[in-house]
Amino acid sequence: MRFRRKILAVFALTVFVSVTAVASLISYFARRNFEQVSERRTAALVFRFDHEFAQKEASVLRRVESIAQSETVLRMAVALNHAPPDYAAYFNEAKNIAEAKQLDFLEFLDDQYTILSSAQWPAKFGYKAPLPGIDTQGVFFQREDLPDGAVLGFCAMQKVTSGDKPLYVIGGQRIDRNFVADLEMPSGMRALLYENLGPGADPPHVIDPFGSVPEIASLVPLIKQIQNDPRQNSGLVHWSSNAEDDERVYAIPMFGLDRQLLGALLLTDSLRPYVGLRRQIRSAALLIGGAGIFLAVVLSGWAASRVTRPVEQLAMAAHAVAAGNWDTQVTVGTRDELADLAESFNQMTHKLLDSRERLVQAERVAAWRELARRLAHELKNPLFPLQLTIENLIRSHQQSLEQFDEMFRESSSTLLAEIANLKTIVARFSEFSRMPQPQFQQVQLNEIVQDVARLFHSQLTAPGRPPIQSKLELDPLLEPIVADPDLLHRALSNLILNAIEAMPTGGTLTLTTRQDGDRAGLEVSDTGTGLTPEERARLFTPYFTTKQDGTGLGLAIVQLVISDHGGRISVQSKPGKGTTFSIELPRNADKLKDNQVRATSGLS
Amino acid sequence: MKLTGCPLIVLISVLLAAAAAGATRPHYGGTLHMQVGTRVDSLDAADNNQPDVLSGRNIPALIFGTLVALNDQGQPQPALAISWRSDSGNQRWEFVLRPGVTFSDGTQMTPEAVTASLRRANPSWKILPQETEVVIQLGAPSPDLPAELALPRNMILKLDGGKALGTGPFVVSQWDPGKKLVLVARDDYWGGRPFLDSVEIQMAKNFRDETLSYDLGQSQVIQIPPEQARHQREAGELRVSQPIELVALLFADEVRSPEEAKQRQALALSIDRSLLNRVVLQSSGEAAGGLLPDWLSGYGFLFPEDANLTRAQQLRAELPKATAWNLSFDANDALARVLAERIALNASDAGLRLQLNNQSTPDVRLVRIPLASLDPYLALTQIANALELPPPRFLGTTIDDLYHAENAMLQSQRVIPLLHLRTAWAVSKGVRDWENARDGSWRLPDVWLLPGKP
Repeated sequence: MRFRRKILAVFALTVFVSVTAVASLISYFARRNFEQVSERRTAALVFRFDHEFAQKEASVLRRVESIAQSETVLRMAVALNHAPPDYAAYFNEAKNIAEAKQLDFLEFLDDQYTILSSAQWPAKFGYKAPLPGIDTQGVFFQREDLPDGAVLGFCAMQKVTSGDKPLYVIGGQRIDRNFVADLEMPSGMRALLYENLGPGADPPHVIDPFGSVPEIASLVPLIKQIQNDPRQNSGLVHWSSNAEDDERVYAIPMFGLDRQLLGALLLTDSLRPYVGLRRQIRSAALLIGGAGIFLAVVLSGWAASRVTRPVEQLAMAAHAVAAGNWDTQVTVGTRDELADLAESFNQMTHKLLDSRERLVQAERVAAWRELARRLAHELKNPLFPLQLTIENLIRSHQQSLEQFDEMFRESSSTLLAEIANLKTIVARFSEFSRMPQPQFQQVQLNEIVQDVARLFHSQLTAPGRPPIQSKLELDPLLEPIVADPDLLHRALSNLILNAIEAMPTGGTLTLTTRQDGDRAGLEVSDTGTGLTPEERARLFTPYFTTKQDGTGLGLAIVQLVISDHGGRISVQSKPGKGTTFSIELPRNADKLKDNQVRATSGLS
Repeated sequence: MKLTGCPLIVLISVLLAAAAAGATRPHYGGTLHMQVGTRVDSLDAADNNQPDVLSGRNIPALIFGTLVALNDQGQPQPALAISWRSDSGNQRWEFVLRPGVTFSDGTQMTPEAVTASLRRANPSWKILPQETEVVIQLGAPSPDLPAELALPRNMILKLDGGKALGTGPFVVSQWDPGKKLVLVARDDYWGGRPFLDSVEIQMAKNFRDETLSYDLGQSQVIQIPPEQARHQREAGELRVSQPIELVALLFADEVRSPEEAKQRQALALSIDRSLLNRVVLQSSGEAAGGLLPDWLSGYGFLFPEDANLTRAQQLRAELPKATAWNLSFDANDALARVLAERIALNASDAGLRLQLNNQSTPDVRLVRIPLASLDPYLALTQIANALELPPPRFLGTTIDDLYHAENAMLQSQRVIPLLHLRTAWAVSKGVRDWENARDGSWRLPDVWLLPGKP
């Protein structure tokens, strides 16, 4: 990825992460605050419900007490102790008194709990009342069985004693949709009533101020939870796929005298404000994020252009330096770290140029010294016999003329031989300095390798010499390349000669070719003495040799040939493990075209 | 004592006597304020769309008249017809109209008008107007035709542009159907002007409002539900009729199997009618084993009315499975609700299940049917008609024939008689000469108000 794109991506990512983090934090705190507010509101509502309910209980209790203390009831209690109950006399009493006292339930029971008069079920006179814990004082939740079905209520009981047989007065109010409607709910909250009156009622019966709630599937898990663990509980209820319809529901269970769960008041708190707020936060975050990212793109583009243009100039200059243009200079118009960097770069290239010139001069000097040393060495050997021969001739001429002729003939032949030797040395140096230009043509590298191997076969297997085994591993799919076959032949011969000389005690010479992409590969491996790292570093330096009678030009010629073919040569070697020379040669199709162009234009 | 005191004493005595005489002599004038618990939506007694309630008969009777009226013994008496005669086969009847009778718009009641009115209520009758009489030719002998003409549906009325005009003692001044009716006395009523100037009737009032209005003196006559009759009786102002309204359980279908017959019998035996009457009705009715009240038929005691829970339980035990029946009742009738609830409890004691359910196709209905006529034959026929049962077959005109006809109806087990209800009215002291007929009909033309009292 380009540096500019990286900067842009980093900017955009930073803005995105920042906006997301801020939005998430705001959402989190909003939700937490909302939940706290909701809990406080619900707690206040539960408190108010408890308060209201306590007032209702007290009111019911007062009314039942006043009924119990009324003259009518006292007369009834007295009559019960003197005669069997007269149901006809009491038939309307409960209903009339309940209406007057605004009670939904009112029943008078005798000492056997037989209903004397009932307001809620007048026809039930003479029947027993199913009342657990009849002697309970205070107000209690009660399941009331009516002709139309069971209902929920809260009742108070008073015992009127006027003789041996007590009279029980039980009055109360119904807990129904009117009761729920009477609860003053803050905005966003509502009250529901779950009635647990039917055995195994499924689905459960839930009412609101308008009647039965038809769709309560979402409430069922919470209700089941209350049924299994009847205590105050709360849960999140999803009424629909729209999150705005979600409500947090708080359940306040209601128990009968026998601790049976008779129902639960369900206080719901709408999450609509919170969901709306959350959506606003998200919208704002999206808007801000979008705008931020846009600004980030613009700003990062501007900033990147200011930052990356000098960097790009530096990169281009570095590429130029790498390509060999060591005099490349960078100009930066700013006065910041990048300008310092450009200045340092310029200084570096300047120093590189100096160093290269010094190195070239040093190498040139070293080469001349080496050349002088080699020349001195090469020339010293023939000069010394020449000097001795001439001195012998002089000494012979002075001592004996008879022997001088014979000595002269012998010395003449020696002098001629040494002079010939000197001429050979001079010719070799002259040959290196006059390496010919390659004559490119399409060749099969495998054929050149086979020709050279065949040429050296007799030498490798010559009697009296430690045997060297020759192995050819040629790639049959090796494609033809454009090269000078003579130069390649010569370079390969030098490498094989080198390998033979590196295996004085015999070994294996392996010649390998392979197709390496669009390049042809050639390896010459021996199992000889190998090279030290220092030798390997200077191996291709002209006139460098590790041999007593080497000129140090063989491998230099090889490198020169490979270089003229646009190829590359490398060496892998370890002392005692042998040496492998690896050559890569390009296909050089363009060289063939150049040759053809030159041939047609008469330049070759 | 000085002799001069004697004239003073005589004077005071005379004044007191005059005052006493003035208090007992009828006075003209005043408005009678009445409140009834039932709702009357139509003043047309022949309108079959409204429920058959007593007020629905009494109110039209104030505006319209019939050719014949029945006395307390059920005997036909002249009304708009002054005489009648029939042929020997009781198929052709001639009714001589009372002369000088006018409708409330002042037009004469002619034979043609009477013919039109009767044809409207009895499309199958062949009715011919004569000069001063109306001739009714029937396809079958009908000895009870005069009594039948006394039925409310045969009231004579004249339709005038959708408005019904009558020959009764009062004429409509204000009519708010189902709520309020104001009537004013007719000076040209053929029976003589009523003492009251007007009558205001408020309808569909609950008992609490009625009693409040009564206690405040805003109403002088209110209808008392049977279950509240005891309290009003103790107050000493209650006017009660004979038991004239039948309460019964009516099965929707005929008996289809012996098991069903047995279950119906068990249900009939499980209901404690006496307790219903004593407690729920506050003894303001009668337990009923028959369809006609005993005071009318004279043999009502022959039909068993006592509960026998043990026998009912035995019958239930003999059934492999008891069918749960839906019992419906008039949801607006508080008394019907209590009765239905008690019946369901009694049935439950016998192991039977009655579900109170006011659905459109119940198995059993609790019905209330006012006595249609003081003529027992006609009354039984009307009961069968109201219950949608086959008409009773009278083999003769004796009491035995009546009994056998009624017994045959009961043996069908389509209907279980429960109670006969009285109608009760609380009448304030300022209302004089309020007399309930045996059938519960009002006689408002005779009623007058003490002056100075609301």
